[in-house]
Amino acid sequence: MTESKNTKISVKLLCLALALVLAAVAGYSFYDQRHYKETVVVSDALTDVRWLSDYVPELEGTFGDTPIFVFDSGVEGGSLLYCGGTHPYEPATSLSAFIMMENIQVEKGVVYVIPQCSFSATTLGVQGNAYPPYFTIETEWGEQKYKIGERNTNPLDQWPDNFTYINYPSGQSQAYNDLRNLNRCYPGRLDGTFTERVAYAIMEFIRTEEIDISIDSHEASIMYPVVGTYVAHQNAENIAMMASMDLTGNGIFDMKYEASPNSLKGFTHREWGDYSDTLAILMETPEPFIDRIVGPITEDLMMTGQDLFLSFAGDKGLTYVEYSEENNYSWPMEVRVGRHLTGAAKCLEYLPMFYPEKEVIATWPSYDELVEQGCGAFLHDPSTADPNQVYEIYCERYEYKGPIASKEEPAAEEPAAEEPAVEEPVAEEPAAEEPAVEEPVAEEPAAEEPAAEEPAAEEPAAEEPVAEESAAEEPAAEEPAAEEAAA
Amino acid sequence: MILTEAIIHYAYFVMAGIIGILLLKNLFKREKRQGLVYDIVYAYCIIPFLLRVLYIK
Repeated sequence: MTESKNTKISVKLLCLALALVLAAVAGYSFYDQRHYKETVVVSDALTDVRWLSDYVPELEGTFGDTPIFVFDSGVEGGSLLYCGGTHPYEPATSLSAFIMMENIQVEKGVVYVIPQCSFSATTLGVQGNAYPPYFTIETEWGEQKYKIGERNTNPLDQWPDNFTYINYPSGQSQAYNDLRNLNRCYPGRLDGTFTERVAYAIMEFIRTEEIDISIDSHEASIMYPVVGTYVAHQNAENIAMMASMDLTGNGIFDMKYEASPNSLKGFTHREWGDYSDTLAILMETPEPFIDRIVGPITEDLMMTGQDLFLSFAGDKGLTYVEYSEENNYSWPMEVRVGRHLTGAAKCLEYLPMFYPEKEVIATWPSYDELVEQGCGAFLHDPSTADPNQVYEIYCERYEYKGPIASKEEPAAEEPAAEEPAVEEPVAEEPAAEEPAVEEPVAEEPAAEEPAAEEPAAEEPAAEEPVAEESAAEEPAAEEPAAEEAAA
Repeated sequence: MILTEAIIHYAYFVMAGIIGILLLKNLFKREKRQGLVYDIVYAYCIIPFLLRVLYIK
C-alpha cells in the first residue's frame, strides 16, 4: 500500500519535473526575447543620446523607456524626427532606423532617431501567431540579429485589456486591443495607460524639441489599401505629395499619397500634427509577412516576401502593390528598407521648398544603394568598432558615450605627428599658439550650451588629446585646461 | 487611474500565482480523477501560470 503510494508520488514528481523542464525551455526563449539587446554601431555624427524618460520621468525603469539618438550638425536649420518600431512586427522600420544611424552625416540642422518607439512591443511576438522571434542580416563580417516583435505593448506591461478602447481626448471608440497599440494612443496622457504614457512622452519630446518634421515608418500587408504610401497631416501634405510625385514620376519606386483623415484618431499622422507644430508624415512599405493569407510564416518570408498563396492573390490583382512575376513575387527586406530611407530623404529634400528656414541637410544610404548592395553592406561590425560607437537598444538608461576616437585621432594625431617633428625645437611655439586657437573654440560651446550641450561636450573633448599631448611636452598646455575649466 | 490600473495589473499576477498553487496542490492531493493523464495535465497547466508569476510571459 505504502509502496503504491510512493510510486504515485514519484510519478507526480516526475510529471512536475518534466513540466518544469518544459517551462524552463519555453521560459528561456521568452526571457531572451524580452531582454534581447539589438546592437548598433552609430555613425560619428552622433552628438547625444536622450531618453523618453527625459520628457516623462514616470517611464524611467519601465519597458516604455527607449533611447533617442541625436545627430546635431551644429549648423542652424530645421529638425527631423525619424521613428522606427512603432509596430515592431514591421521590422524594416527599425532596420531602416539602424542603417540610418550607422551611416548618417548631417550638414545642417538636427536629426533625431528613435529606432524602437514601442520598446515594450519588441519584447514578444504576436500572440497566437507562430513566427520566428528574430531575423538575421548577413554581412561581410558575420551575421547581425534583430528582433521581430509584436504590434502591441507586451501584456506584462499593460494588462488586462478593457472591453472597449476609447481614444483620449477624442472619445472615439476603437477596437479593444488597440488599447495597447501605440499608433492608436496618440496624443496620449500622463495619467493614462502604459501605452498612452509612451505616446504622451513622444508628443512631449516633439513639443519640447520643437521638431519641424516627423516621419513615422510602418509596413503594411500588401492586401491593405494603404500600402506603399505616404499618409500626411494636412500641414505636411505639400511635402508628401511632392515627394510622392518625385519618387513615382522619376521611376525610383511607386509611392502613393493619402491625406490623413480628420476622423481617424490616435494615429501619428493625425495627432502629431494636431497636438504639436510638427509636420507629420507616416510611411508604409509592403510587408507580405503580415498578410493574412500567407503560408508558413518564416524568417525567409520576412526577408524575401515570397509566398505561394499570396502569389495567387497577386495574379488575380487582389494586392495593392505589385506582386507578380515582374518583381518575382517578392518584397525583399533591402527593398523595403531602401524605400523608407529614400522616402524619408525625399521629404527632407522638399521641406525647404515650403519652409526654407526649416531646412535639414542629411545623407544616408539610398534606395538604389540598398537594392544593389543589400542591408548588410551598411552595417558595421560592433566587435571592431570604437566602443564609443556601439550602443545597445534597451530600456535601461545609459548616457552618451562621447565622440568616437577615430573622429578625434585624425584631427589630433596628424598635427601631433607633424608638430613634434617640426616643432620640437620650437616646442614652445605651438604650446603658445594652441591656447590662442582653442580659446575662441572653448568660448563657442560655452555660448551654445543653453541650446545644446553636446557640442560643448564634444568640441573640447575633440581638442583634449591635443591639449594632453601638449601637456606631456610643455606645462604651458595646462593653460587651456584651466581656461576650459574657467569657461 | 494609474494606481487603479496598477492594482488591477498586479491583481492578475496574484491570481496567476494562486491558480498555480491550486494546480500544484491538485497535482499531489486530489480525490477524483486519479489517473496518470490527469497528473500530466495538472503539471502541464502549471507552466503558463509559473511563467506569468515569474514575469517572463
